[in-house]
Parts: sequence; C-alpha cells; structure tokens
Amino acid sequence: MHWIMLSCKKATELIEKKLLTKLSFREKVQLKMHKSLCDACTAYEKQSNLMEELLSKHIHNEDDGNKNNGVVENEELKKRIIEKIK
Amino acid sequence: MEAVKYQNDPAIVIKEWVEAYSDKMYSWCLYKTNGREIAEDLVQDTFMAAFQSINKYEGKSDPKTWLFSILNNKIADHFRKLYRNPTVTESKIKQFSEASFFETYFDKNGSWLKEERPHAWPEEDVHLLDNKIFVKVLQSCMSKLPPDGYAAVQLKYLEEKKGEIICQELQISPTNFWQLLHRARLQLRRCLEINWFKK
Repeated sequence: MHWIMLSCKKATELIEKKLLTKLSFREKVQLKMHKSLCDACTAYEKQSNLMEELLSKHIHNEDDGNKNNGVVENEELKKRIIEKIK
Repeated sequence: MEAVKYQNDPAIVIKEWVEAYSDKMYSWCLYKTNGREIAEDLVQDTFMAAFQSINKYEGKSDPKTWLFSILNNKIADHFRKLYRNPTVTESKIKQFSEASFFETYFDKNGSWLKEERPHAWPEEDVHLLDNKIFVKVLQSCMSKLPPDGYAAVQLKYLEEKKGEIICQELQISPTNFWQLLHRARLQLRRCLEINWFKK
C-alpha cells in the first residue's frame, strides 16, 4: 500500500487523535486524501465531532444531568453525614 | 456578614449545606458513577473535605458551586482509580482489549465491514441533549463501555484538561490514551446508531 493511502481503521484512529492532539503534516495529508475517497470515514468524522460535542456538554452539566434524571432523595445519607460532622 | 458566620460554626453551616445540596450532589454522582455506594461515599467525602477546609471558602461563590467543584474532583479521582484497577472479572473488558475488538468493525485490510460502514445520521444536532429519551440512550451506551474506556471518556470531559495532563495523571502514554478513546468511541458510535439513529 502506498504511504499516502490509509486504511479506514487507521483513518478513524486519526480522526479520534485529532480531537486530542495536533496531527502531523503527514497525518493531515493522509487523512484528507482518505476522506476524499471514502464516504464512510467522512460520515464517521462528522458523527465523531457530534459525539465530541454531545459528550462534552453532557458530561459537564450537572443541572442537565439532574433535570433529565430527577433528583434522588437520600435521607439516610444526610443523617450519616451530619452524624459524622458533629 | 456571611464570612463571619462560616468562621463561627462550621458544623452548623455544613449541616445546612447537607440539607440544601446533598440530594442534588448525590443524584449527580449516581448519574455519573452508576453506583449507589460509590455515589454515597463520594458525597460524604466531599462534605468531610468541605468541613475540613471551610476556612478556604470565603463566601464569594455560591456554596453549591464550591461543593460541586470538590465533588467533581472526587469523581475524577474515582475514575482515575477505576482506570488503574478495572475489575477484571467482567468479560466485556476482555472483548474490548483483545485484538478481536477491531474485527467486529473492520476487515483484515482495515476497511469497514459492509454492515458497519457509517452512513450519515438523520439528525446531527447538539439539541438532541434536550431530548430526555436520547439522553437515556446516551447514558445507557456509556454504561456499556468497559471500565477503563468509561473512565477515559469521563476524565477527558469531566475536567476539561488537556490530553497530556490526563495521561500524566493516569501514567499512560498519549498513544495508549487516544487508542483507548478510539475504541471507546467506535463502540459508543455503534451503540448510538443501533439504539437511536437507526430506530
């Protein structure tokens, strides 16, 4: 295989790597080339970016978490903590 | 005025805070960790830490914000521990770490298997998070990740830290970390597709 042609497995790896760190020049070219020929990896990248956005919002927002899941009361826990603090 | 009150009787202040915020904190933790006991311990640890360092709280920020920042650190610690010692008894870890993991997505040349090839999703929008059912699906997909993958995903977003710092804390190489995320996200993508986008 020519150095410039990535497999889809490798391309998705680079798509994920890109979200964490900068790609090298060579990696950028490889990924661009691959995507220009591969609809599946192009779709994957879009979905991966969406997941990135969803996850960063979802994981970080406690109000959101509680809004969607409801507040669970735990009286036992309250008593236990107050007992410990005395 | 407030500051004087905090200096005077920390126990009373903490007690008020327990009454006011512990349910919210517990719910948040439960939702993050998927475990009653762990969630209870983390909330309790947070209040103990707050009690000991209450002199650092100057009453400038909302107590809830202060407590949640301590709590989120505790949650991150929990995931770091989980990452280092995942419970090896669960079979899903094996599936995840074995080379065969990729065989369920790609053929031997690294091309997508026909039935796994990604196609555009019908709705590609962050407003999905306003949909309670979608959030449930996302959560259930997250909970199906093996512990180390789950911990890696949580840590990446929970603390908004740079990848390199997370790697230092976990004592793994950046390559291992993003490869772990790569696998976690392949799995998450498939789960979301089956349970939401293709339904």
